[in-house]
Amino acid sequence: MWQWFFKLGSPKWFYELSGKWLPWLVAAMSLLLVIGITWALLFVPPDYQQGNTIRIMYIHVPFASISLAFFPLMAVAGTITLVWRMKLADMVAKTAAPLGAWFTALALISGSIWGSDIWGTWWIWDGRLTSMLLQFFLLVGVISLRSALEDTDAAAKACAVLSIVGCINVFVIKYSVDWWNTLHQPSSPIGMAGDSANGPEIWVPLVIMIVAVYLFFAVSLILSTRNEILQRERRSKWVQELLASA
Amino acid sequence: MLTANALCCERDDRILFRHLSFELGEGEVLQVQGSNGSGKTTLLRILCGLNEGYQGAIRWYGEAIADQVENFFASLLYIGHRVGVNKVLTPLENLRWSCSLQQQVSDGAILAALAEFGLRGFEESQCFTLSAGQQQRVALARLLINPARLWILDEPFTTLDSDGVAQLENLLRQHAQSGGSVLVTTHHKLSLSPLEILSLD
Amino acid sequence: MTERRITTAAAFRATLARDLLIAYKRKNDIINPFMFFLIVATLFPIGISPDPQRLGEIAAGVLWISALLAAMLSMDNLYRADYEDGSLEQLLLSPHPLYFMVLAKNISHWLVSGLPVVLASPLIAYMLNLPTDVYFALFMTLLLGTPVLSLLGSIGVALTVGLGSRGLILAVITLPMSVPVLIAGTMAVQQTLNGAPLTAYLAILGAMLLASITLAPLASAAALRISIN
Repeated sequence: MWQWFFKLGSPKWFYELSGKWLPWLVAAMSLLLVIGITWALLFVPPDYQQGNTIRIMYIHVPFASISLAFFPLMAVAGTITLVWRMKLADMVAKTAAPLGAWFTALALISGSIWGSDIWGTWWIWDGRLTSMLLQFFLLVGVISLRSALEDTDAAAKACAVLSIVGCINVFVIKYSVDWWNTLHQPSSPIGMAGDSANGPEIWVPLVIMIVAVYLFFAVSLILSTRNEILQRERRSKWVQELLASA
Repeated sequence: MLTANALCCERDDRILFRHLSFELGEGEVLQVQGSNGSGKTTLLRILCGLNEGYQGAIRWYGEAIADQVENFFASLLYIGHRVGVNKVLTPLENLRWSCSLQQQVSDGAILAALAEFGLRGFEESQCFTLSAGQQQRVALARLLINPARLWILDEPFTTLDSDGVAQLENLLRQHAQSGGSVLVTTHHKLSLSPLEILSLD
Repeated sequence: MTERRITTAAAFRATLARDLLIAYKRKNDIINPFMFFLIVATLFPIGISPDPQRLGEIAAGVLWISALLAAMLSMDNLYRADYEDGSLEQLLLSPHPLYFMVLAKNISHWLVSGLPVVLASPLIAYMLNLPTDVYFALFMTLLLGTPVLSLLGSIGVALTVGLGSRGLILAVITLPMSVPVLIAGTMAVQQTLNGAPLTAYLAILGAMLLASITLAPLASAAALRISIN
């Protein structure tokens, strides 16, 4: 078990293994994306309240749900960096932060577009939107700390600490913002996930889209981590050989 | 008492030193030499535990330092490039704090040490009114107050005048004679008789 | 030799006393956060409206935001001078748990920059026409909440102390982190105004304070060790 764990920490091993997996992941992702998007756009019946606007859900919900995974992911990677000094964990953490900011921003934008129709305004201080916005700020904080610190090693550890603190904070923010929101708005606005009866014709394509977006996330993370590996290990023998053979 | 085995350090893709091994015994003075940028300060900071960006093993009386940090810190006195003297406080106030991080200390002992280093009459003036050499002397006064066994000194001679240099050399000699150890970087030629030299070039 | 070793409690006291002494000698450290707090609070009536009714409604939020900004802006001094003159290295090399040394510095920071703000809050609350029934709620929430701001801010400062030019990075890192405290503080005042009991909110703020006293100095200590590398 431990041996396997440390083997996983070797950038070279990860690079080779991910190279083998990548085509399969991309294939599965493309297939599910095509099925999910076609289904959501063409075959899902319009909502009796929201009409065709409900189709935005198939983008918004997957992005919003995966956005919540970034801080836990970065905190786990940060713990591994601090405790076992595993380089790969930091490479994942480094690439996860900007990805997380993009995913969070997309969740916010899609939520805002959806809201413009059902709430009649582009922005309200809804609990979910507000805590998502604050999470975006925290991610920007991690990214700017990373770019401000020149020494790779110091940046890795500092961002690890900030990610762990941020992860705890995201949960506290989530609960306190929900609480703040219910106290300020006793009558909560229309629920986002569609209050209408959730038949399988609604949720099956949603599940497909969620899996597809998770795969998209995995592919993006692996691709950018591979870039980071090549960049950081550029002086090592195996990267030199790889470049020579290419 | 302090042994380093196969130390290796690289910074910003540049190897500062590698396969560096040495041993510092009781009563020894080890002078670290090397041109500018050869990693002298980094080496000292690694040995103190301030810098963790290295590979290799450092042992204190045969045991890894990580297993006995408190013990090690209690017997270490480090004076770096930045000497740890607050400009707003007076020498007396500075030493009251920095010495009491390690041990109980009386004002009498501090005043005596300051006087020994030629700072009589400056005890109560704020440190920003003192010259760089005088501030260095404030920090060096800790050598007289704290009975640490291991002294790690980074360029302690640079700002001292010739009297100060002689006095510090004398102090190092006494410390070594009483069984303490010194690790020092300097470009100054030390006139100590048993003197080990470690070159980083 | 060993019998003269100092206890951690004594080293804690020495560090606290030293930081308070430095603040006392540099009067700016005490006066500036306080003045900043007063000025920011003054800007709101000018920027929004001098109407007592409207001011009374936003007074709690204004006071809390001003206190938050004052705490953040005074943070920078916390480890900066010590980093530059080498005292921070000495602190890290002390044979005592860094947790307590960091805690001493944070307490000193709060006593110097947070406490005056808390003490002055009823005066500003009066000027902003906050209903008098909630003065006590405001005072108590600030008393429990501002130390949390110092403890959280300390993490951000510790992470950025080695940076040459920090600009606004400290604010970007720490301001979002203080949102839960801001929410708990302002909600407490508003809900007390609506007749809800204050104790529940004080319990929440107290829990936040306890959690940050236990955890935040650990994070600050880890961050300092990284920054000094």
